[in-house]
Amino acid sequence: SGSPTDFLKGVVGKRVVVRLTSGVDYRGVLSCLDGYMNIALEQTEEHVNGRVINRYGDAFIRGNNGVLIPSQPEP
Amino acid sequence: MASQVLPLELIDRCIGSKIWVIMKNDREFSGTLLGFDDFVNMVLEDVTEYETTPQGKKTTKLNQTLLNGNNICMV
Repeated sequence: SGSPTDFLKGVVGKRVVVRLTSGVDYRGVLSCLDGYMNIALEQTEEHVNGRVINRYGDAFIRGNNGVLIPSQPEP
Repeated sequence: MASQVLPLELIDRCIGSKIWVIMKNDREFSGTLLGFDDFVNMVLEDVTEYETTPQGKKTTKLNQTLLNGNNICMV
């Protein structure tokens, strides 16, 4: 327990942006996550260079991909 | 006998201060350190993201952000 786990508890159910090290963004509602930072998103949009290129009902993102999780989506 | 400074202790001293985090993939973040865990996942606030490739391109993320320790290189 500590700040990262507290942060993660507070962000479940909110709209987040998950940015991979490749620079691809996934915006959606954070459904759940685990201790490895694997993430399940709902209503997901895949953004590359600021443009939406895909939409997924549910998305699973593996935690080892260097994930950055802003607590609020960027405008 | 000179006392040693452990890496995690050094990071602990930075809590509450503005720090500069350099990732493995030429991406950098500056922000206020709120906390971290044993894997050096970090929670930052008022974060500014810098991408090296587009030369000084900035992306500003407000509120709290979780940085995956997997890709953190230097603090």
